[in-house]
Amino acid sequence: MTVDPITLQVIQARLAGIVQEMQNSLFRTGYSTIIRESQDASCAVLNTRGEVIAQHVVLPLHMGAFPACAAAILKTFAPDEINDGDAFITNHPYLGGSPHAPDMGVFTPIFYKSEWVGFAANMAHKSDIGGTVPGSGSGTAREIYQEGLHLPPVKFMTRLQPVKEIDAMIAANSRTPGLVLGDLRGQVGAARLGERRIGELMARYGKETILQSTELLSAHTESRVRQAISSWPDGESEAESFVDHDGIDLSKPIRIHVKVKKTGDRLHFDFSSSSDQTQGPANIRPPLVRAACAYCLVALVDRFLPINHGLARCVDATFREGSVVDPRFPAAVNTYMPTALTAAEAILRALAHFVPDKRIAGGSGSAALVLGGRDAQSNRAYVHYEIFSGGTGARAGKDGVSATAFHLSNCRTAPIEIIESEFPTRVERFEMLADSGGAGEWRGGLGFVREYRLLADDVRFSMRTDKHAVEPFGMSAGLPGGKGACRINAATESEKTLPSRFGDHRLGRNDTIRVERPGGGGLGNPLHRPVEKVLEDLRQGYVSVGRARDHYGVAAEMVDGEPLFHEGETAHLRGKIG
Amino acid sequence: MSKYRVTVDTGGTFSDFVFFNEDSGEIAITKVPSTPKEPFQAVLNGVKELIDQGVAAGDISFFCHGTTVGTNALLEEKGAKTGLMVTQGFRGIYEVMEQTRGYGPATYDLFFEKPRLLAPPYLTEEIPERVDFKGNVLKAIDVEASRAAIRRLKQKGVQSVAVCCLFSFLNPDHELKIKELFAEEFPEARLSLSYEVLPQIREFYRLSTTVINGYIQPVMATYLGHLESRMRELGVVTPKLYIMQSNGGVSTFKGSAEKPVATVLSGPAGGVIASMGTCERVGINNIITFDMGGTSCDVALIHQGNPVITTQGKINLRPIALPMLDIHTVSAGGGTIARIDAVGGLQVGPDSAGADPGPVCYNRGGENITVTDANMVCGVLDPNHFLGGRMKLDKEKAHRVLEEKLAKPLKLDLLEAADGVLKIIDAKMEEAIKAVSSARGYDIRDFTLVAFGGGGPMHAGRMALDLGIPTVLVPLTPGVHSALGLLMSDVKHDYVRSKLVGLEDLDLAEINHMFHQLIERAKADLKSEGFTDEEIKIEPYLDLRYAGQGYELTVPSSMPPYTKHDLTLMRSRFDTMHEQNSGHKAESEPVELVSLRLISLGLVPQAKLSPGKVTGRKVEAAKLGERKVYFGKEHGVLTTQVYNRDLFEPGHKLTGPAIVEQLDTTTVIHPEQEASVDEYRNIIIKEKKA
Repeated sequence: MTVDPITLQVIQARLAGIVQEMQNSLFRTGYSTIIRESQDASCAVLNTRGEVIAQHVVLPLHMGAFPACAAAILKTFAPDEINDGDAFITNHPYLGGSPHAPDMGVFTPIFYKSEWVGFAANMAHKSDIGGTVPGSGSGTAREIYQEGLHLPPVKFMTRLQPVKEIDAMIAANSRTPGLVLGDLRGQVGAARLGERRIGELMARYGKETILQSTELLSAHTESRVRQAISSWPDGESEAESFVDHDGIDLSKPIRIHVKVKKTGDRLHFDFSSSSDQTQGPANIRPPLVRAACAYCLVALVDRFLPINHGLARCVDATFREGSVVDPRFPAAVNTYMPTALTAAEAILRALAHFVPDKRIAGGSGSAALVLGGRDAQSNRAYVHYEIFSGGTGARAGKDGVSATAFHLSNCRTAPIEIIESEFPTRVERFEMLADSGGAGEWRGGLGFVREYRLLADDVRFSMRTDKHAVEPFGMSAGLPGGKGACRINAATESEKTLPSRFGDHRLGRNDTIRVERPGGGGLGNPLHRPVEKVLEDLRQGYVSVGRARDHYGVAAEMVDGEPLFHEGETAHLRGKIG
Repeated sequence: MSKYRVTVDTGGTFSDFVFFNEDSGEIAITKVPSTPKEPFQAVLNGVKELIDQGVAAGDISFFCHGTTVGTNALLEEKGAKTGLMVTQGFRGIYEVMEQTRGYGPATYDLFFEKPRLLAPPYLTEEIPERVDFKGNVLKAIDVEASRAAIRRLKQKGVQSVAVCCLFSFLNPDHELKIKELFAEEFPEARLSLSYEVLPQIREFYRLSTTVINGYIQPVMATYLGHLESRMRELGVVTPKLYIMQSNGGVSTFKGSAEKPVATVLSGPAGGVIASMGTCERVGINNIITFDMGGTSCDVALIHQGNPVITTQGKINLRPIALPMLDIHTVSAGGGTIARIDAVGGLQVGPDSAGADPGPVCYNRGGENITVTDANMVCGVLDPNHFLGGRMKLDKEKAHRVLEEKLAKPLKLDLLEAADGVLKIIDAKMEEAIKAVSSARGYDIRDFTLVAFGGGGPMHAGRMALDLGIPTVLVPLTPGVHSALGLLMSDVKHDYVRSKLVGLEDLDLAEINHMFHQLIERAKADLKSEGFTDEEIKIEPYLDLRYAGQGYELTVPSSMPPYTKHDLTLMRSRFDTMHEQNSGHKAESEPVELVSLRLISLGLVPQAKLSPGKVTGRKVEAAKLGERKVYFGKEHGVLTTQVYNRDLFEPGHKLTGPAIVEQLDTTTVIHPEQEASVDEYRNIIIKEKKA
C-alpha cells in the first residue's frame, strides 16, 4: 500500500496541528513563568524507534534532545515494559539526552488498539532542580554532580498512576518543588493530548496509513535537504569560532572547529579539532551539536521544512571524545548555550563556502543576568532574572539586526516598569551602543547598554554570557563587532570589570552595573559601503564621525543633527585606505 | 420618508454597503469598486447610489464605516513624519523592541528584519525627567531642555509626535507638561501622549501603541475630515458618524481621528459582530466564526455570547496593546497557491496569488493553480455565474493548467488532484479552528460554525463534517457580513489605568477613587457624543495575576466602590478563571492587581431586521438547474441540484448534495448533509440523520 500525495499532505497538516496543540497546552498549563513567559519548551511526536516524526520548534536544540532521550528510554526499557498510561522522564545529559539538568524530558507511549505505536513527548526548562546555586546553573561547577538532581530514564507514572517515590525524590531535591512537579504534570498533560490526537488520527486514516505517511514525510524532508545539498559544489571547508573561556581559566578561549566535506548529496561534519573538554560548565553533548547542524541546514535550505528525523539523517558528524563537544562523563555542561551558539556560527561559517549568498558574520550570543537577595521593604527573598541578546552578524546583502535574539535563542527583555515594581533594582539607562556594529559593506547589528542601580544591601550577582573577550567575527573583509562588557560602578573610582562568566559577586546598595552587549561582525569591505548608507548611520547615531572616517573612509561632521558630507576628503580617504 | 442607516466596509477590491430601512426593517446590499487612491470616493459613490434610488440624504440617520486607511498607512509605511520623545536614557525601549523575532519557521530565518522604526532615532528626543514605580518624581522635568527638544523636532519638519515617559500611567504630570509646551512652541503638531492613548504598565507596549497612533493620526484625520465634509456637501446631516474599531465597537469620527490606532485591526471585527447578532436572533450563543477571503481566513470563538478579547494584538510584528477581538488568522484563501515542490511533493500555501493576477481561471495572467481553481474544476463554481455573472471564469484553462501542473506530476486524475487541493487547505483551516476551540478547552460539539466571506460557505460543510461540528450557519449576506456587523455595533470605549499592587496591600480608598475618575471620564466622553444616561452602560474589570506572573487575566467585576469583601470575591473569581484558562489555580499564592479597566458602551438602538417573508413558494421554484460536482473519492461525481439563494424562504429544506448560488458566494451542501432555511433566511446545514 502506498499513501497518495493528497492524504500525505493532509496528514502533514494534522501532525503540525497536533504538535502545535500540544505546545499550546504546555504553555497554557505550565506552572512556572519559565514555560509560560520565556517559552523555554518544545513538543514532539516520535515513532517506536525513537525518531521524531513531527516537532513544534521553539528551541532548535531540542531537535537533538528528543531522539537522544528516546534512545535512552528504549535502551533502558524493553518493549514489554512500556505500557499504556506510562510516562517516562529523564534530564540526564549523559544517560539521557537532556541539554542540562533543568531541561526535563517527558515521554508518554502512544497506544493504538493495545499496540504501542510511538511516543508523545516534550521538554521544558525547570526553575530549579537542586545543585549548588538557585536555578541549578552554577558557573563554577566542575562535574555534573554540582548541577542538580539527575534522573536517567525512569517512570514518572505507571499505567496512569504517579510513581510516588520519584515524586518524592524530585520534591526533596528542588528548591521549588511545587513549581517543578506542577510543570511536570503539565508536561504529562500535553503529552497525553498528543497520544489522544495521534490515536484519533489512526482511527480515522488507519494505523498503516499514518505510519507509512510519517516515513514518507521524513523521506520527503530528507530529499528536500539532499536535493539542496547536491546543488552545492563538492569540496571541503573548515571554520572556527571561539567561546571566551570556561569561567575558570579566564585566559583560555575555547575553540569550536568544524571541517565540512561535501560530496554529492552528502555532508559530513567533523568537529575533532575543537578544544579539549573544559573544567567549567561550557561543555556540550554531541546530540545538541547535531541539532545545531540541523538548525543550520533548515536555515540554509528552507525554513518551512517539516521538522522530522529526515533532517537528522542528513547530519553525519564526527566528534572526538574528550573534546568540548563530546565531553567525558561527568564533565559539567550547565552553561552549554554559549558553546552551542558558537558552534552554530562556526558551522554556518564553514557552510558559507558552499552557499556564499547565505554568508553571515559572527553575532553577540545571549546573556543571562541574575540578581538575588532580600528586599528590605517586603522582607522577601527575590531573584531578578533577565536574558539579553545583542547585535547579529551582517548577512550577505543585508546589515545585521540590532539587539535581537538570534540563532538558537529566542527570549524577550523584561519590561523596566515591571522590574522596578517587583525588585529593588532601578534601571538607569537602556540604549543602543553606537559603533558596536562591526564595519563592513554590510554593517553588523548594534549591541545595547543597560545600566542598573541596586536599591538593596547584600545582592548576589551572577552572569553567564560570552563575547566579552573574543570579538564577534567579521567576514569577507568585514571588521569584527564590538565586544561586550560588564562593569561595576562604571565611571567612578571603584570601577571594576567582571568577566563574561561568574557567580555570586557580592554588591551593595547604590552600586551600579553597566551591561554592554556585543555588536555583530561586519561583512565585506567597509570602504565599499555606499556613502549614503554611512551618512544615514551617522544621522541615526549608529556610527560616530570618527568611526565613519577611520573604518568607512567617509568624512563628515554633524551639524544640527544632520551629517554634513565632505566629498573631496572622502574620495581622498577611500583612495588612500583602499 | 423612511430613515436609513448606511454602513460601508471598505475592502481592497470592493466597498460593501448595507442600507437598512429603519421602518420596514429591510436591508439592501451593494458592492461598489473601491478607490484605493482616494478611499473616500468609493464611500461617496455608494451613498450617492442610495440617493439616486430616491432616498433623501437628510433621511440618512446613521452612518458607520469600516476603514483600512489607518491599517494601510501602517502596512505600506506611508504615515506621517513622526517624532518620539522619551525619558532621558531610554531610547532603547523602542529600538530594542524586546529583542524578539518570531517562533516556528521564523526561528530559522537568517535574513529576517525587525520592523522599521516608525519614529527614527534622529527624530527621537530625550526628556530629562524620571518618575519611579510609585509615581514619585525622582527627577523633575527640565522644561527648558524639553522646549529646545520640541523646537528641534519642529525644525526637522515632523508632523506628529509620540510621547512616552516611564511610569506616566502612575504620574502623567511630565507628559502633560510636554503637551503644554507643544501648545506654546509647536501647536500645529499632532500629539499622542502614552498617558492618553494607553495608560498601562509595560513601557514597550504602551510606547509602540502610542507611536503607531502618532504615525497614522494625520492620515486618518485628513481622511475622516474629507469624508465628513463631502458627505455634508451631499446633504447628509446626521451627527451619528461612526468608525469600526478593533474591539468590536464603534467610535465617532472625532474619536477615531484622535485615536486611529484603535481601528488598525478592525478589519475582521465586523464579521464577528455580525455573526453574534445573527446568531443571537435565532438563539445560538456558542459560535465559531469562519471568514475565508482571497488570501487569508479568520476564525474567532464566541462562548455564551462573549467574544474572546486580547490585548496582545500585532501588525507586522508591531504590538498594539489596546483591547481587541481575539481573531486567529491563517494564510488560506481562494487565492492560495498549490504547487509541486522541488522533489515532487504537493504543497498548498502559504503564498497566495491574491486578486491580481489571481487564480488561473480569472484569466488575468495567473499561472499558478489556486484553491478557487480547484473549486472550479470540481464543479463547485459555475464559470458563468461568478459574482452573479459579472465575471466570466475560464474553466478550460483551469482544467488544462491543473492537469499539467498538478495531476500529471502526481499521477492522479484531474478531479482527484483538484479535490486534493481542497482537502489540504481544509485540513489547514480545520487546525486553525481547533487552535481557538478544542485547544483552549472548549468542546467543539457545542458550537455552530458561522461561515462567510467569499470562500467560507464553499468550505464550511466538509470542514464541519471533519471536525464534528454539528451545525453550519450561512448568513443571508455572507459576502457583506462585515458591513452588516457595522449595523449591529454599539459605541465602545476602553479605559485602563495600571496600578501594580498586591490585593492584600492595596489602599481601597485610592482604588475606588481611581475607578471613580475613570467612570466619570467614560460617562462624560459618551455624553459629549450625544448619549443619554439610559443609553450608557459601564462594565468594570480588574486585571489580576498571581504575584510575579508575566501576564494578567481580565476579570469582570461588580460596580465600584469596592469593599474588602468585594476584593475577596474578585480573588476567588480570578482563581476560577485561572483554572478554566490554564488548568490549575493557586489559592494560597498572593494575587496582584495590575490594572483597572472599564468598557463603556453607548447603546445604539438595535437595527430590527425583519424576518424573511413566507409566500408559500416551493423550494423547487428556487432551482436553477443541475450540474456535475465531484465530492471526493467516496462519492465521485454526483449530479447536483443548484439553487438560487435569492428565492429561498423560511422553512425551505434541501438534501445534499446541493449547491446554493448567490451574488457573492456559493454554498456547498455535501451528500452527508441536509439544509434548511430559518426564519431570517440563514441556511442551516446539519448532518443527515442516520
